Amino acid sequence: MESTKTSKAKIAAAGIIPLVLLSAMIVYLFGPGAELVNFGTPLPNITIERVDFVESEIQVTARNTGPIDVSIAQADVNDRIQPAAIEPDKHLARFETALVRIPYSWNEAEPYEIGLTINDGTRFAHSVEAAAPAIKPSIDLVSYFAVIGTYVGIIPVLIGLLWFPFIAKMSPAKYKFFLALTAGLLLFLGIDAIEEGMEISAERLSGAFNGQLLVATVVVGSFVGLYYVSEKLVSRVSSASKSVAIALMVSIGIGLHNLGEGLAIGAAIGLGEIALSTFLIVGFTIHNTTEGLAIAAPMARQKPMIAKLAAMGVIAGAPAIFGAWIGGFQYSPISAIIFLSVGAGAIFQVIVAILKWIRQDEQGLLSAPTAAGIAVGMIIMYVTSILI
Amino acid sequence: MLFAIAATATLAALYFVYPITSDAKEEKIFVTHTGGVIKTSGDVLDPIYTAQTVEIDPDKYLREFNYGRTSSVDGKTVREYTIIAEDDKVMEISPGVFYNVWTFNGTVPGPTIRATEGDWVKVKFINMGSKTHTIHFHGFHAAEMDGVFEPVGPGGGQFTYEFEAGPAGVHPYHCHVMPLEEHISHGLYGVYIVDPKKPRPPADEMVMVLNGFDTDFDAENNFYGANTIPFYYQHHPIQIKKGELVRIYVVNILEFDQINNFHLHGNLYHYYPTGTYSVPSAFTDMITLSQGERGIMEFTYDTPGKFMFHAHKTEFAEKGWTGLFLVQDEVVQ
Repeated sequence: MESTKTSKAKIAAAGIIPLVLLSAMIVYLFGPGAELVNFGTPLPNITIERVDFVESEIQVTARNTGPIDVSIAQADVNDRIQPAAIEPDKHLARFETALVRIPYSWNEAEPYEIGLTINDGTRFAHSVEAAAPAIKPSIDLVSYFAVIGTYVGIIPVLIGLLWFPFIAKMSPAKYKFFLALTAGLLLFLGIDAIEEGMEISAERLSGAFNGQLLVATVVVGSFVGLYYVSEKLVSRVSSASKSVAIALMVSIGIGLHNLGEGLAIGAAIGLGEIALSTFLIVGFTIHNTTEGLAIAAPMARQKPMIAKLAAMGVIAGAPAIFGAWIGGFQYSPISAIIFLSVGAGAIFQVIVAILKWIRQDEQGLLSAPTAAGIAVGMIIMYVTSILI
Repeated sequence: MLFAIAATATLAALYFVYPITSDAKEEKIFVTHTGGVIKTSGDVLDPIYTAQTVEIDPDKYLREFNYGRTSSVDGKTVREYTIIAEDDKVMEISPGVFYNVWTFNGTVPGPTIRATEGDWVKVKFINMGSKTHTIHFHGFHAAEMDGVFEPVGPGGGQFTYEFEAGPAGVHPYHCHVMPLEEHISHGLYGVYIVDPKKPRPPADEMVMVLNGFDTDFDAENNFYGANTIPFYYQHHPIQIKKGELVRIYVVNILEFDQINNFHLHGNLYHYYPTGTYSVPSAFTDMITLSQGERGIMEFTYDTPGKFMFHAHKTEFAEKGWTGLFLVQDEVVQ
């Protein structure tokens, strides 16, 4: 008993001592009075994350994304100084945000540049291509987004599911081809989501957030998390239901992806980018019919289970509605990146599940139908992405 | 384990996505300098709302003339001045905005030097800055008094500029060390007035230096003003007496967008370019001045009330170069 106690203490000490030494070294290098590491004056930075046009007022959400505290001294519209209010106050600690409210009778559809000047005289500006009234949650708008989400998410997936009888009557080789085709389609979607996340990170997110590494972290995190869950799920069910379990995972993965799509549409509408939102609605609608195929394929060797298929269609499609709500009413670049990355991680997990399913076959993974299927899947998605 | 990961991820996401909110404070209402009304629980960002904490006092500068230490040598009046240059001060040039100004005698603009035509002017210049500086006076002087080829070294270097005052009028003086734009835009300038031998009629006299600051170094001014502080005279109207002649010595010393102008409301003024001729060139409510141009404006208000003056270049007006005259029957100063 005594010996276990001392050994526990020893283990704890062994864990803590390196930490103490490390902190001591960091204090020595970067702490007060340290002169060994000195790379000059740190420069302040402010990122304007949101600009909302409300009744007779422009509301600007700004975040201190620099290494030091700053205070905001002045606001301007189109480089002309404007009186404004700032809430909660003008002093911003690192990563803190403030809401700047500028009374201003703005004109719809005109471009504006909003600037904030901080205490050292540096001005940070953000351009808006066309002023549009900020979206306020209302029953009308909530249902409008729900309808859009239904059209983009649920209906095309259900249409895609109608391929089920077609796949069900196929030869094993063709069936394998279609499973691989699904993997190809999904692979494209996953890469697409990562690209989209990277784009948002480059255009709208301050460098201080390391947006690209955030994408990597969330993709890997959601991949391993969902992989673990799906393994548990698949191992618990009987072999007959394994295909259903996989199809369910596919629809969950697609659902997370569609959340990202809904987010993109909602954000485009919310940010007043009408042309972009129309483009996204049409594009995603066509694109999402292929997702129905991806859900149908793993279950094609089962007896048709209409209710289950329909439920999965809803699981895959409905998140587009939630995405549209979040994107439209509570858009932030960082949440958009996180959602897209979760979607990508989920999709990669689904691909692994499908490939494992294919590998159960005696021919193994590397056969002509699989290779062709993946390639054709990617090509289909690529072509639709160009056409739309 | 999975729960731990999910919790970590969620907390991390919430930390970044949602702003840090404050305790709700009492709402205050204020009227801005443009007449808008703001209700807020937070702070106010308004160039004229906050208490003036600036070391440069435009009110004091407006009517302050330095005649120097006078003596008489062979029947001629000698005026001696001392001007010290510094380049390490950080001053609040607009409420909440701090900028490294380079100063003559601790302020921007430097002191207004005033002499009468024919006086002997001696300006002892001491450079307490970290860079080479000079003073180049506009007006008559010998070649070796030009402030161009006689660099005065940093850390206490000295030079005495000596010349006979003339011609009558209003002239700028400024540092003439390269890069010129940098030295002038940081604040090394001032006004040098030469009165004609036959004095101008008595008047309420004032100096307005039209200047600006490029605080983010993008070769464009972020702030404009008369006598340095943006919107200052809008918040603190210049009090003048009804029926009294007002004489303004106006100098445009702007760097960058340098075409400046002066527009007066409800009135017109006689304008004397550079002040060298005693006959006005125009009776107008607006003149335009390029960089370094200056003149004298004379006008009288016959009705009391608030009258605006500002750059008719609206960009400059909206970035600070705007103010008010408050015309009263009696002025308490």
